[in-house]
Amino acid sequence: MNGNEKTRAIGGLLARLTLAGVFIYSGLVKLMAPPEEFAYAIETYRILNSQLSLWAAYAVPWVELYAGLLLAAGVYTRVMAAFHIVMLAGFELLLAQAWLRGLPITSCGCFGAKGSNSLSQEFIMNIGLLCLAYAAFRYGGDYSADKAVEKRAA
Amino acid sequence: MIDRKNGRLLALGAAMIFLSTLAVLLARQFSVGPERPVPAWRVFGPETAPVNIVEYTDFGCPACRHASAKLDEMLRVFDGGLRVTFKNYPLLNIHPWSLRAAALADCAGAQGRFKEYAGLLFEGQEKWSPAKAEPAEFQAYAKQLKLDWPALQACAEDPKTLQRIRLEISEGDMRGVSATPTFFINGRRAVGSGQLIDQAMKFDNILRGARKP
Repeated sequence: MNGNEKTRAIGGLLARLTLAGVFIYSGLVKLMAPPEEFAYAIETYRILNSQLSLWAAYAVPWVELYAGLLLAAGVYTRVMAAFHIVMLAGFELLLAQAWLRGLPITSCGCFGAKGSNSLSQEFIMNIGLLCLAYAAFRYGGDYSADKAVEKRAA
Repeated sequence: MIDRKNGRLLALGAAMIFLSTLAVLLARQFSVGPERPVPAWRVFGPETAPVNIVEYTDFGCPACRHASAKLDEMLRVFDGGLRVTFKNYPLLNIHPWSLRAAALADCAGAQGRFKEYAGLLFEGQEKWSPAKAEPAEFQAYAKQLKLDWPALQACAEDPKTLQRIRLEISEGDMRGVSATPTFFINGRRAVGSGQLIDQAMKFDNILRGARKP
């Protein structure tokens, strides 16, 4: 590995760990609070009814936690990074439709009921996270479980 | 067929998912997560008290009435050493008026009379709890305490009030509360006033040491 490749690999690793950390934190904060709390936040986007919001509130935090952990460890790194890109794009669409419809949402519910950002803050933060996800997708393959298993198999 | 590399990665992923699920479920069970804040009128005793009791209660439950008297006595005896926080856990399937009672008590708290209204609710529990229609006692207690009844009613029907109580119920569910009264004494669970006394006795030295002279 030459100097440039090494820098890219470390950058990819940092991007992967930062993005994974955000998702793990976000999932844990919601999992340690009553699901109804997050369900109320989902309802304010007026996409799902209250029953479906509750189901989403049960499922989404687990998905965030698992996806974050797998990305951090580098298990199927590219697949997981792509999955994060899809999730983040989905969140951006939700935020954008709420903003376009002028929905009165003061807290996005992204990090539980207590520590959430406003729609605009979250939208901007998600763009940053999308960049990290792209970097993890392109350069995050080194220093990962994928590579360790590959080396052992070789 | 899955090759060796994919097999290892799948096994690693599955192990991580299994262990993280286990860790989260255990953390929930041991109440590691943050607690929802409660309104100030439902908290009694100084912030510095060494023994903290969180009670999940139901105004329609006879055992909660009994425990309420015990807690009042403990607050009197261990003045300064004890802090008690009341949380609502109305058992809606057996006490249909408990949610309404909890909302009214909270709204009486907003008017500065939580303790008194809660006391009257427990005292008259046998009268209002089995009622078929909205019990007249709710209004009578409000009048007795000179509360603003229309404001009390409006507050009790406010979705924010009901949401606060429902979130407390789901917090109780997450902490494994299934019966009332359930107490957490410095994090240790006790169900019913018998267990409350047993657990509190373990903190006897601390409580006596912290008592105001």
